[in-house]
Amino acid sequence: MAEGDRDAFKQFYDRYARQVYPLILRIVRDASDAADVLQDVFWETWQSAASYDPGRGTAEAWIFTRARTRAIDRVRAVRRRGETFVAPVDEGLAAAAPDPGGDAAERMGDRDLVLGALSQLSDVQREVLALAYYGGLTQTEIAERLKQPLGTVKTRIRLGLTRLREVLERGP
Amino acid sequence: MTHEPFETLAPVYAVGALDGDDLVRFEAHLREGCPECAEAIHAAAEALAALGREAPPAIPPAHVRDALLRRVDASSRPRRTRFGWVRWAVATTAAAAAAAVITGGAVASRYEKWIGVMARETAHLRDQMRREQALLRDEVARARAVAVLLRDPATRVVELNGLPAAPAASGRVVWHEKAGGQLYVAGLPPAPAGKAYELWTIAGATPRPAGVFDVDANGTASLSVSPASDGPVKVFAVTLEPAGGVPAPTGAMVLASAK
Repeated sequence: MAEGDRDAFKQFYDRYARQVYPLILRIVRDASDAADVLQDVFWETWQSAASYDPGRGTAEAWIFTRARTRAIDRVRAVRRRGETFVAPVDEGLAAAAPDPGGDAAERMGDRDLVLGALSQLSDVQREVLALAYYGGLTQTEIAERLKQPLGTVKTRIRLGLTRLREVLERGP
Repeated sequence: MTHEPFETLAPVYAVGALDGDDLVRFEAHLREGCPECAEAIHAAAEALAALGREAPPAIPPAHVRDALLRRVDASSRPRRTRFGWVRWAVATTAAAAAAAVITGGAVASRYEKWIGVMARETAHLRDQMRREQALLRDEVARARAVAVLLRDPATRVVELNGLPAAPAASGRVVWHEKAGGQLYVAGLPPAPAGKAYELWTIAGATPRPAGVFDVDANGTASLSVSPASDGPVKVFAVTLEPAGGVPAPTGAMVLASAK
């Protein structure tokens, strides 16, 4: 049975690691940090797999949430240590190594779908979601950075997420 | 306190951006047990997973996989049921994996919905194309028949003029006594509900019904006409009649050829 678990874990890793690694890399921006975070995230799933409840969401959402949270934790820890910290948003794109081979092309199809969904959001909605999700900024930090009232930031996040859900569920 | 403020805080919490008093307040609210907010957070997590896929593609380093499997092997044996859900997760994505072979990448369940939508739209477009194809085939067949008729020296083209009931209307019949022909009309108003236009051929003493039609949005129509059985046609006429047609004209005449 334990052997079966190991096989299941292997399959789980092979399926999801390549999905969440790009996100981790985009957030932490350093390949060696990203590898650490990736290992932590999947080690946690091995140890706490029993806490996953299929009735409360997809395995995909579960692993993405964990990966994103751990990556942000890493970024914040680096920030607290006072190490060089560059504004995390958008420049993160440059940090990602290009993915050679046909696999990348295959994955692009999926990514295009998402980019299509994101393009349905207004610029200000995309901006707050990116600052929060990839940048790990809190609502107060976003408000300061954008020089917008806190209430505006909260509303934009809410409307942006609502719109994203609509687009993903119904198509653009 | 109403629930409304929490509806704004839940998505902000889901994206990890809640802080300060808002965070304290919201977590207290969650501890009291709020199914609505729990559901909102889960729904947000699903959408955010899609946001996570926006990152540029990158391949995870192989050494992570090796290190993890070594740790798994070294760790105490997990409880019997511990990883049962992973087998569930892998099984439920088996169909998606099959699709992934075709579409590339791991197709998440989220996209299956989209694929369903796209399949429905494709089916709809296919039906529409079939209908249009059938219409085109009919039209081509009619045009061919008229072209054949026009080559025959016995074929004549008869002008129909609009009458006071439809002064803007005009029409032509391409007519061959033995082969029949084709009626073309323009400038006719759409027939009122429950009514239709009916063509008559007059060869002898009584008009004979030669077909019922209605016009399209542009006021035009065409109609295949069978040869008359009672001799050479002297007059073509169109009247407005109850839909379905009548054996003898009863309504106003809208078009007629000169005698």
